[in-house]
Amino acid sequence: MKRKFGVVAVASATAAALLLAGCSSSEPAAEAGGTDITLWLNGGDTPDALRDYLKTEFADATGGTLTIEEQSWTDALAKLTTALPDAENTPDVVEIGNTWSPTFTNAGAFTDLTDMYDDLGGENLLASFVEAGEVDGANYALPYYFGSRYMFYRKDMWEKAGLEVPTTLAEFNESAAALTTDDQSGFYIGGEDWRNGVSWIFANGGDLAAKDGDEWKSTLSDPKTIEGLEQLQALYESSSKAPVTESDSTPWVNINDNESTGEPEAATIIAPGWAHWSIGDLAEDPDDPTATVATWNDDTFGVFTLPGVDGGVAPVFAGGSNIAISAASKNQDASKELMTIIFSPEYQQLLGENGLGPANLEYASSLGDDQFATALTESAEGSKLTPAAPGWAAVEGSGLLEEFFGKVNGGGDVADLAAEYDGKIDELING
Amino acid sequence: MSAPQLRIRRRIPRTPYLLLIPAVAILLIGLGYPIVWQVITSLQEYGLQQQFGKPAPFVGLQNYIDLASTSQLWIVVGRSILFCLVTAVATLAVGTLLALLMNAVTKGPRIVLQIALLLAWSMPVVAAMTVWIWLFDRRRGAINFLLDMIPGVDMNRFDWLESPATFFVVASVIVIWMSVPFVAFSTYAGLTQISDEVMEAAQLDGANGWQRFWGIILPMIRPVIGIVLLLQVIWDLRVFTQITMLQDAGSKSSEFDLLGTYIYKLGTKSQDFGMASSVSILVLAITIALSWFYIRSLLKEDES
Repeated sequence: MKRKFGVVAVASATAAALLLAGCSSSEPAAEAGGTDITLWLNGGDTPDALRDYLKTEFADATGGTLTIEEQSWTDALAKLTTALPDAENTPDVVEIGNTWSPTFTNAGAFTDLTDMYDDLGGENLLASFVEAGEVDGANYALPYYFGSRYMFYRKDMWEKAGLEVPTTLAEFNESAAALTTDDQSGFYIGGEDWRNGVSWIFANGGDLAAKDGDEWKSTLSDPKTIEGLEQLQALYESSSKAPVTESDSTPWVNINDNESTGEPEAATIIAPGWAHWSIGDLAEDPDDPTATVATWNDDTFGVFTLPGVDGGVAPVFAGGSNIAISAASKNQDASKELMTIIFSPEYQQLLGENGLGPANLEYASSLGDDQFATALTESAEGSKLTPAAPGWAAVEGSGLLEEFFGKVNGGGDVADLAAEYDGKIDELING
Repeated sequence: MSAPQLRIRRRIPRTPYLLLIPAVAILLIGLGYPIVWQVITSLQEYGLQQQFGKPAPFVGLQNYIDLASTSQLWIVVGRSILFCLVTAVATLAVGTLLALLMNAVTKGPRIVLQIALLLAWSMPVVAAMTVWIWLFDRRRGAINFLLDMIPGVDMNRFDWLESPATFFVVASVIVIWMSVPFVAFSTYAGLTQISDEVMEAAQLDGANGWQRFWGIILPMIRPVIGIVLLLQVIWDLRVFTQITMLQDAGSKSSEFDLLGTYIYKLGTKSQDFGMASSVSILVLAITIALSWFYIRSLLKEDES
């Protein structure tokens, strides 16, 4: 009898566990009348104020609930690949890194938005991003925001060394080397950080790949690309204490005073514009004694755009995202409603006010006219996108570029490495 | 009278087979389906276009031929096998030593030891990895801080994850830490089965500690050691989470890949699912090859 009771107890506990597990995974009930949709945003780039705005506006417009799920930039590519084709699990609207747009657009992942294009901004939308989401004249992915990178520097250290803001790339490279000591980097850049390192290639007129007839070809061995890579290699060796294995990371921790030494790790960094919220004099966070907040200080910190080889502004990597509706989504109409909200003047204005370059350039003035806005607009004007090749997302996903830049900055022979990785990238770049 | 007897003799016992059905069904659904899918995909050209619905053309053994001709694959295979053997043997050695210690100490220390092992065992992998990555941090890690205090040792800002050699030492230490409790408990369970009389007799005959361990304890717990080593080899060959998290903290360069991360990069990240499937089939083959010897000897022992 006793044993039987035990069996019953175990069985009912198991049943209860299964039932409860079933309950907890069920979706919250839909509000009457509205369609609930899901939006995937990458990383923390979109601030909370903007997320709340979208949720409220969407509820007002459709009566449905907008769920925003944040994906990390590192996993986003893998998650998009597996989730987008699956009608049951796909997010309805997705933010997609601009460099991945051609690959997914070509694969047919997104809904054709050509008939909405003019209503959403048309000609005023950032052209290079529109192009990245276009196939045979039809628009699939549209720009969401842009944010090109520029330089943040320690005014105090540069002034102490008697250095001025550089006007040519060579002058920058020299100043960075001059500011480097045993403990401090004149210019902090990770060895594998190709998204920033590529600026030296672009500045010298080189590129990562070019279209040759119908085929894309990796152009690391192009003499201009080699020239840029050699400059970068020399700069990394003379000026950066960052590990050769470090890729795109959080460089602003290096320009603030280090808590244990009271000195910064670096005199200069390159970072996206919104990094300025994390740079400044550090003080204890009044809300959380374990954290610190940074307050920008114009006496200590400054910004400038990376200068070009012959002066002017060097073309930097055009950071930013596109946004699109998943072709597999069952909620096409509600998703289009969300797109209308995103491209509304109010939301475009909000993007700019929060330091993100608005997709619709008519609202570029919302960025303001402070030094950050000026640097952002200046660097964005000359900025360049990665090749719009069908296999580009695979090239980025494979990690080959990190590996290549790491080996170059590790002191390898640039021409040999370029030839080797041209071969590897060519295998992937045409999809 | 003869008819019923005949019936009894001919009756086939059905119950055991009926009882086997759920287990076999779960295996077929859980393992069979993905394996069949994987074999099919490994014979196809299957990329992102196919993922979004384009038909996947069959290419026969082309994926396998392409793979066999890339040196990268064989380097990763060699590295993975070396990593898995070194790690599995080290885990076994540390685990057995801990089991012997548990057997030798009194109840109090033994319970402390067991609780400590259980805590390590039950720690979620991602949580444990986060702490390990902090421990080995270049700038503020406790490991560098402690090593740096030794006179004459300069480990300030030493980057453990920068070169493959130290990267895999760190990975191995973490994997060993995570799997030692299982080995220690299994071996300890084996040790408790050795009768005191045998040990006492050996002691009276003048066998020293090492002789008793080598000549009596080890042969008696060999079946446990065998199965534990087999499981470790299989687990360490397909180790993924630890490596991928260390790569997030360090470098995603191919020199830091083991089979698990290599397949992930090939499939999910570079969107070549056909090729990724054929590497997975290869890993299955390697696993079977590595464990074949052990399974056979285990089966033989079962029969005798």
